[in-house]
Amino acid sequence: MMNLNPDTLKLPQRELAGQADKPILRLEAIRKVYGKHVVLDDLNLTLRSGEVVAIIGPSGSGKSTLLRCINMLGPATSGRVVVGDLAIDESIPPTAQQLTSLRRSVGMVFQSFNLFPHMSVLRNVSLPQERVLGRSRKDADKRSRELLARVGLAEKADQYPARCSGGQQQRIAIARALALDPQIMLFDEPTSALDPELGLEVLLVMQELARSGMTMLVVTHEMNFAETVSDRVIIMADGKIIEEGPSKEVMRDPQTDRAKRFLKAVKDR
Amino acid sequence: MTADMFLGVATGIPWTLAVTAAAFVLGAALGLPLCAMRLSNVALLRVIALVYIILFRSVPPLLWVFVFFFGLGSGYLPISAFEGVVLGLGLITAANMAEIYRGALSAIHAGQWEASEALALPSYSTYLDIIAPQLLRVSLPSSASYAVGLLKDSAIASTIGVTDISFNANYIAKSTYQGLPVFAIAALFYIMISLPVAALARAADQKLRARVAL
Repeated sequence: MMNLNPDTLKLPQRELAGQADKPILRLEAIRKVYGKHVVLDDLNLTLRSGEVVAIIGPSGSGKSTLLRCINMLGPATSGRVVVGDLAIDESIPPTAQQLTSLRRSVGMVFQSFNLFPHMSVLRNVSLPQERVLGRSRKDADKRSRELLARVGLAEKADQYPARCSGGQQQRIAIARALALDPQIMLFDEPTSALDPELGLEVLLVMQELARSGMTMLVVTHEMNFAETVSDRVIIMADGKIIEEGPSKEVMRDPQTDRAKRFLKAVKDR
Repeated sequence: MTADMFLGVATGIPWTLAVTAAAFVLGAALGLPLCAMRLSNVALLRVIALVYIILFRSVPPLLWVFVFFFGLGSGYLPISAFEGVVLGLGLITAANMAEIYRGALSAIHAGQWEASEALALPSYSTYLDIIAPQLLRVSLPSSASYAVGLLKDSAIASTIGVTDISFNANYIAKSTYQGLPVFAIAALFYIMISLPVAALARAADQKLRARVAL
């Protein structure tokens, strides 16, 4: 079983191993408008390999919309997404091949888990491997069981998702995304639908994943995670990045008034 | 009422079941692509599906069965009475099942599509592995009640000479001049088939509901 001691979240920040590496994800001038409303306003962002970046900010600031632009669940109006060697212009419809290779490189974890309710936990993790990577049932199941053990849920393999707690379902969703061997993992408020205790078991899994060197972009309201686990924090408001930098600096000494206001509001509760 | 009457009407049960089952299977299967066409991005496919659905739902089943059996059957495409009634009722069922599926589709959480997309599942897999099983599960209660209705509509088969429950009842009533008991027996058989179908559907629904909590 995994250690649920909250103190493990307060470990010193990990080394920035990937600092010198070339960028693994680059967002260039990402802009998204709904009619006259500008949701994302010419956003630029670069992630190095192995980096963990937390995006925080008030509701409606465009955090989730940004994540959905990256894997084109909701393409931007204009701008470019570059993942490794793959460059995608968001303003034109991508080819099926581009879309598949983009989504194979970028795994996503949703706020509402989105497990497939009619399949066992094991099938949830194995099916995408078989359909997307062409793995055999046997190989896929082997990999699924490894990943389920890694998120502390080896014994849940034959259950249905409905028999698992929210925290367990989210850990299964993480295993399912990892099973496709993505280069980058996107987390869209992964603990927002969970009570604090169940959220913690998800955060511990994410922390372990961060330590293992996975490149992660995490939209979150968990300020402790942003400060202690991520390498960098981005604060968004009104479709723009208003503050960006090493986690401790941004969280403890924000420069802009808007960021100060936001952080004061979340810390004073 | 005699045992002869009872047995005579009873020999029609297999035909009633066969017509109902065959028409339902045909309709349930054709309903899926029809529903997909109805929701397609391609306007032409949408129009074809819509016209099909309107056409098959607004003309009485009896008329459709006559169209296939007497219309097509006389020369164009020689078909038996059984084939004619299965085709007629099956194609009507397809139109109705497409609408049942369309309703059920809205009950499936948008996150299911998003997760399939984010996992890069090919679209055949999204439909077959993810959406279709949930769709069939959600549409089970409506499908079952449609099937019970279809069982009753299957009596139309008797008008073109399929020897089902109604055909035999009609025949025996005319030859014995005892309409009331004979048709009462026929009614009893329809009830005896309907009730277990409804009960079975309820049980299956509850079992699946408990498992997936959807």
